[in-house]
Amino acid sequence: MRKGTLEYCILLLLKKEPAYTSDIIQKLQEARLIVVEGTLYPLLTRLKNSELLSYQWIESTQGPPRKYYRLTGKGEVFLGELEVSWQELNDTINHIRNN
Amino acid sequence: MKKTLTINLGGTVFHIDEDAYQLLDKYLSNLRIHFKKEEGSDEIMNDFEMRISELFGERVRLGYEVITVVEVEDVIKRMGKPEELFDAEASESKSFEQSGTKERQTVQKRLFRNPDDRILGGVAGGLAAYLGWDPSAIRIALFVLMFLYGVTIPIYIILWIIIPEAKTATEKLQMSGKSVTIENIGKTVTDGFEKVSENVNNYISSDKPRTLFQKILDVFVAVVGGLLKIILILLAIILFPPLLLVIFVLIIVLFALVFGGGVGVLYSILPNIHWHTFDMFPENVLIWAGISTVLMIVIPIIVIVYMILSQLFKFKPVANSLKWTLLIIWIVAVVANIIFAARFGLPFWGDWSHWSWDTTWQQIQMLL
Repeated sequence: MRKGTLEYCILLLLKKEPAYTSDIIQKLQEARLIVVEGTLYPLLTRLKNSELLSYQWIESTQGPPRKYYRLTGKGEVFLGELEVSWQELNDTINHIRNN
Repeated sequence: MKKTLTINLGGTVFHIDEDAYQLLDKYLSNLRIHFKKEEGSDEIMNDFEMRISELFGERVRLGYEVITVVEVEDVIKRMGKPEELFDAEASESKSFEQSGTKERQTVQKRLFRNPDDRILGGVAGGLAAYLGWDPSAIRIALFVLMFLYGVTIPIYIILWIIIPEAKTATEKLQMSGKSVTIENIGKTVTDGFEKVSENVNNYISSDKPRTLFQKILDVFVAVVGGLLKIILILLAIILFPPLLLVIFVLIIVLFALVFGGGVGVLYSILPNIHWHTFDMFPENVLIWAGISTVLMIVIPIIVIVYMILSQLFKFKPVANSLKWTLLIIWIVAVVANIIFAARFGLPFWGDWSHWSWDTTWQQIQMLL
C-alpha cells in the first residue's frame, strides 16, 4: 500500500519539475513519506527500467555530475491512470465513511 | 594515531580510517547481496555509492579531512540498513496483522549454514545455532557416528546442499532465533565489524581469521565442490537425452491410453513390452498409472535441470511452497507406482535382451 503510494508521489513530484535524486529525497522526507534514503534508489531504478522515468547526467556546481530525473511520455500517461484510480479509491473510502 | 586508506567512491577520492573502511565495505557488500536479484542492481549500487560520496564530500568541505567510523555510521543511519530497506517492502502485509494482534513477536527460527562458525560447510555450526547447542558437541557426534555407521557423510553432504548459507544479518539472527529488530541487527553488524578489527591485516576475508588447518580444509572443500559440480553437469548431459526419450514415450503412452486405440501404436514403438497384458486392467487405472509414472520421472528431471541451470545463471530462488508441492506430488506418484507394481506386478515387462535405442527411435520417427 505504502510502496504504491510512494511511487505515485515520486511521479507527482517529477511531473511538476525535473529534479536531482537528492531533491526528491528531501521532498519526500519533508512529507514524512520515507525515513531512510536507501528505499528510493531501487525504486527509481525500477521506474526507470519500466520507462516511466528517464534521467540525464547534469553537471553540478560541486562534485561530479548527478542524475537529473524527469517524467517520460509513458510516465505521464501512467500517472494519469494512477490519478484516476487514486480518485476512485478516494471516492470509495469517502462513500463508506459517510454511510 | 590511526592508519588510513585512500578509496575511490563514486569518482571522488577520500581518506578513510581503516576501521571505518571495514564498516563501509561490509555495509555495501550487504546491500549488494540484497539487491543481487534485482534488475539493474549495478545501477542501484552505483546510486548508493554516489550518494554516500556526496555525503562524505559535504563533511570534507566542512574541514574534516578523514572519514571516520562516526561519519560512516551516520551515513548508514541515513541510508538505512539493508534489513530496513528490504523489510520495508516485504513486511508491508505483515504490519497489518501485527498491529491487530498486540505486537506479538513470534520469532521464526530458520535453519541456516553458519558461515562464521564452520570447519567444512558450516552445517554443524548452523545446527548448533538452531538447536542452541555447542557446535563442538555436534561435530564430535558427527565424527564418531561417521565411524559407527558411515551414514553421516552422505547426510552431511545432503544437508550442505539443501540448507542455505546465512548471508545477511537478518538471516544470521534468524539462525539462532533472535528477533529481527533494528537493535539486534545493529549488534550483528557491529559484531561482525569487531571481528574484523581484531584482524586488521586481513583485508579480504570479512569473517574470523582461518587457521592453517581450516585453510587446507577450505581448499579441499573448493576442489571437491568443483569436482561434484562437474560430475553433476556431466551426469545431466549424459542422462538428459535418454530421459527425454522416456518422457516422450510416456507422454505418447498417456495420449494413446486417453484417446483409446493406442495399443497398436505402442506396440510398433516398443514391441518388447507385452502390451496385451494391459487389456486386463480397467482404463482409468491405466491412465492414472501413466500420469503418476510421468510425474515420477519428470519432476526429478526438472529439479536436476533447474539446479544445474541455477548454478550457471543467477536465478531467483524458488518459493518454498512450490518446492513442497513438487515433493509431495512426487512422493504420491512414487507411492502410487509402488502400489500399482505391488498389486499387478510387472507381467508386461517382456524380453528386453535384443532391444536397442536405435530401433525404438526409428519406430518413433516412422510414427511422426
